[in-house]
Amino acid sequence: MSKTVKNSFLYTALTAFAIVFALPLFYALYTSLKDLKDVEKMVVGIDRLNFDSYIRLITHYQNAGGGIAVWYLNTIIMTGIIVAGCCIISSMAGFSLAKLNFPGKKIIFIIVLATMMIPYHMILIPVYIMMSKLGWLNTFAALTVPYLYQCLYIFLMKQFISTIPNELLEAARMDGMTKIGAFFRIILPLTKPALATTIIISFTGTWNSYLIPTTFVNKEKMYTLVQGLNAAKDQFFDRVNVTMAGVILTTIPVIIVFLIFQKYYIEGVASTGIKG
Amino acid sequence: MVSVSNKKMIGSKWIKNSDSDIFTAYLLLAPFLILWLIWFFYPFIQSFLISFQHFDFSQMDQSKFVGLENYTKLLVNNPEFYEAIGHTVIIVLVAVPLQTVFALALAMALNQDISGKGIFRTVYIIPNITSGIAAATVFMVLFRKDMIFTKAFALLGFPNDTWTAKPDIALLFVIILYVWQQVGFYMIIYLAGLQTISRELYEAARVDGANWFQQFKSITVPSLKPVTFLIVSVGTIQAFQIFDQIAAISRYGKLGSPADSTTTLITYFFTHGIRYPDEMGLGCASVIIFLFIVLGITLVQKKLLEEKE
Repeated sequence: MSKTVKNSFLYTALTAFAIVFALPLFYALYTSLKDLKDVEKMVVGIDRLNFDSYIRLITHYQNAGGGIAVWYLNTIIMTGIIVAGCCIISSMAGFSLAKLNFPGKKIIFIIVLATMMIPYHMILIPVYIMMSKLGWLNTFAALTVPYLYQCLYIFLMKQFISTIPNELLEAARMDGMTKIGAFFRIILPLTKPALATTIIISFTGTWNSYLIPTTFVNKEKMYTLVQGLNAAKDQFFDRVNVTMAGVILTTIPVIIVFLIFQKYYIEGVASTGIKG
Repeated sequence: MVSVSNKKMIGSKWIKNSDSDIFTAYLLLAPFLILWLIWFFYPFIQSFLISFQHFDFSQMDQSKFVGLENYTKLLVNNPEFYEAIGHTVIIVLVAVPLQTVFALALAMALNQDISGKGIFRTVYIIPNITSGIAAATVFMVLFRKDMIFTKAFALLGFPNDTWTAKPDIALLFVIILYVWQQVGFYMIIYLAGLQTISRELYEAARVDGANWFQQFKSITVPSLKPVTFLIVSVGTIQAFQIFDQIAAISRYGKLGSPADSTTTLITYFFTHGIRYPDEMGLGCASVIIFLFIVLGITLVQKKLLEEKE
C-alpha cells in the first residue's frame, strides 16, 4: 500500500470517529441556540439563532431559591476548595514519602496504594451517617472536607518528587534552610507539572461529580450544576433547546480548563497507566 | 519498583543529615493522615460492622446485631439482586472489550506519522471530561424516535424508537453512552504504551518481510500486554461502578428505569442503602459483596496474565 493511499484511508477513519465523538456536543450547542419550533429542522438561518433558551433556563429557577447562578457558584466553591486542598495536601504528603526518612513510611505508602483500589461506595453509608450526625448534610462541608486529599494525587506527587535530584536539597541545607523551607522554596516550584496534572484531574472529576452531591445534598439552593442539570432535564423534558442550554452551561467550563491544561492531563493519565 | 529507588536516596546526605525528620515528615503528612483516619478508615470499618446489623437510620440506637442475615437476604431468593448483578455483568462484558478495542485502534491510528494528530486526540478525549449527566442528557435526545443516532442504529436492525423508554434496549443505550465516554481515556494510556515500543523492532520485522498483521500480532500486542492488563482491569472496576448515566435516564422515578431494566449492583446499593434508610445494613452488605467481586476479578485477571507469561 502506498503511503498516500494509507494516509487517506487513515484520515477517513479518524474523521469518521471524530464526527461520532464531536457530534453530540455540536448538536447540544446548535440546538441550544434554536427556537423550540426549529428544533426538528436540520438547518436554520443564522438570523434565527438566539440565546432565548439560556435566558429561559437562567430565569426559570430564580425564585425557587436555587437557579443556575447559585448552582454555578456552589460548583465553583466546591471545586475550588477541593482542587486547592488536593494540591496542598498531596504535595506535602508526596514530599514526605519521596524525600524523608521516618518510621512508618512503608505502611503509609501501602495505605496510599490500597485506598486507591477501594471503590468509594464502600464507605458511602457510614459517611452519610457521620455527615448527618455532624449536621453537615446540605452544606459545603459535606461536599468538600472528606475529599480534600486523594491517594492518586499523593502517589503521582511522590513519583514526581522522587525524580528531583537530592543535590538540590543538599545545597539548600548548606544554605541553612530547614526541610520545610526546602519543600516550599525548592521542591514546590519544581513540581509545577505534577501540580498541573493534579489540578486538571481533580477539577474535571469534582466539577462533573454526581454521586457525592446527590447523596449529601437535596436542597435546591445547595445543588451543584450537574445536579441542577439533572433536575432541569426532567423539568424541561419537552423543551430540548432549554435542556441543551443546560448541557452547554455545565460542560463549557470543563472544556475550557481542559484545553488549557490538556498537556498535563494527558501526561498524568499516561503516567498512571505506565507506572501503575 | 518504588522502594528500590527510595533506598538509593536514603543513602544520600540530604536524608542522613537530619535529626528532626520524623517530626517534619509527620507534620507534612498530618492533614492526609487525619482526613484518612476520620473519613476513610473509620467509615470503612463501620461499613463492615453495619453490614452485620439491622440498621435503621431513623432509629440508630435500636440497631441490633443480626449476624449474616443481610447477606443471606441478598444472596438467597433475591431475584432483584441477581437481576442487578446480571445487568452489571452484561455492562462489563460488553463495554470493556468494546472500549479496549476502540481505544487500541484509535491509539494505533494516532501513533502514525500524520499531521493534525493533536486535534483528533483532543476530540476523542472531550467526551471523557464531560459529565455523565450532561452526556446522557444529549444522548437521550439523540436516541429518541426519528433522531439521528436512532436512525443510524435502525440500519443495523434496531427499532426506530425512543431507546431510554424501551426496557429491552435501555441497557444497551447505557453501554453505548458509557463506551463513548471512556474510549478517549484508555486511548491516552495505549498511546503512551505504543510510544515505548522501539521503532527498530518494526523496521527489523519489515526487513524480514512481515506484513502489517504479523507485526501487529507479534510486536504490538505482546509489547502492550501490561498496558492491556491495566486497561482491562481498571476498565472492569470502573464499569462495575457506572452510576451517573443510569441516574440520568431514570427520570424522576426509581433508579434503574425503565422497568428495572438498568439496575446494577450500585443502583441496588444506592436504592437500599441511601434512598430507603431503614435498610442501611442491607446496603452495606451489598457493597461488601461488590468489593469482593471486584477484588476477585482483579486477582483472576492477574493470575491469567501471569500464567500466559
